[in-house]
Amino acid sequence: MEFLDFAGEHLPFILEGVPVTLGLWILAISFGFVFGLVLAWCRIYAPTPLYLLATGYIEIFRGTPMLVQMFFIYLGLPEVGIVLDPFTSAVVAIGLNTSAYQAEYFRAALLSVPQGQMQAARAMGMGQTQALIHVILPQALRRVLPQWSNEAILELKFTSIAFAIGVSEITARAEQVGYRTFEFFDVFLLVALVYLVLTGVVAEVLQWVERRVHVPGVTTTGAAAG
Amino acid sequence: MTKSDEEVLRVEDLHKRYGDHAVLRGVSLTLTRGEAKVVMGSSGTGKSTLLRCINHLSPPDAGRVLLEGQPLTPATLNAMRRHIAFVFQDFNLFTHLKVIDNVRLGQRRILKRSKAAATERAMQELERVGLADRAHYYPAQLSGGQQQRASIARALAMDPKVILFDEPTSALDPELTGEVVTVMKQLASEGMTMLVVSHEVGFARTAADEIVFMDGGTIVEQGPPSTLFANPAHERTRAFLKVITHQESA
Repeated sequence: MEFLDFAGEHLPFILEGVPVTLGLWILAISFGFVFGLVLAWCRIYAPTPLYLLATGYIEIFRGTPMLVQMFFIYLGLPEVGIVLDPFTSAVVAIGLNTSAYQAEYFRAALLSVPQGQMQAARAMGMGQTQALIHVILPQALRRVLPQWSNEAILELKFTSIAFAIGVSEITARAEQVGYRTFEFFDVFLLVALVYLVLTGVVAEVLQWVERRVHVPGVTTTGAAAG
Repeated sequence: MTKSDEEVLRVEDLHKRYGDHAVLRGVSLTLTRGEAKVVMGSSGTGKSTLLRCINHLSPPDAGRVLLEGQPLTPATLNAMRRHIAFVFQDFNLFTHLKVIDNVRLGQRRILKRSKAAATERAMQELERVGLADRAHYYPAQLSGGQQQRASIARALAMDPKVILFDEPTSALDPELTGEVVTVMKQLASEGMTMLVVSHEVGFARTAADEIVFMDGGTIVEQGPPSTLFANPAHERTRAFLKVITHQESA
């Protein structure tokens, strides 16, 4: 009961950070989605210099901690004249990082579409880009959705690192409550529950999307049965 | 079989090699409007490569392909391919699209037809291949024979000047080849210009204007089916025909 009282008192303050958390998350994964597609395209279709650039980028961003990347952007870049506010820095850091992971999922998905699909599109007179847009991508994106959903949910939790540069998202607010009340057990249990609800809702939404876009022969029937 | 002398497709001295292996060693042929030509020969003689080189899915190393006198070049390729339909051995229907959308996609995106016009035309072609009732199925929900008929409808909707068939029945169970051959025969009788790589003796005998026999990357013999089946001049042709006509009667 004590916990419920605590939650009743402090939850509203923490929940005020939800729009910030979700805002960080949506901007970062959207950026990662678009840039990840570009990187995947570079890895499969682009001439060698772009391929090497994309490959190097992916290796660097997968091989270093996101927290270090974020500090570099927020604290390091001002030294060369690039000053970003904390929220933007966090979006950029998480976005750049997830784009490297998303790129690899997209690459695998694009390559998993049978070659005959591209051939059939080209044979009817489509250019390569047209064939990618109308034939290959719609299949690749359906196939990648389960892995992409995992990545998206991971990133939702990773938005918590933004507290380290002073973004007032839910982890930062929980910490503030902690130092105000010294009820660290309760407050971090509470904020963990908030994350659990958020990831649960997001997982449900993404599964609903999976079922909506399911096409027999492109994606497995597991999604349809769920 | 309403043949005219008007030349639709001309293939001049095509060469193609993969590594050390010369798959095509100078193949030339012409198709006149309304003509149905069947290319036969044992496997590995370059029949499918010939078709793929004609629409440059595999660019030929040497030689030319002309459609109504216009050469296919990298610059004109996309614009000219819409006139050269290709029917694949394994159908290659767009798996994420319903049958009707498969037949509409090229019409919409390449020929820029309105949605209403594309839909009307798609339904006509699906009717023609006997699949109007499957218009809203996905490819994976169809049998192989139905998928191949749908891919023929997709080809027809583009108003091609010629259709290339690459072993259209080879991936099908024997009991499903008939429905595809029937559609192809009907097209030939309606005057569609077609170049068919196939071992379907039934189609070759009754629907082809001419049989082209390939061996080792070249054309060794060609002529009307009556002559070629009854009286093949070449030893390789005789040996091959013996095998496939035997299979047919078995």
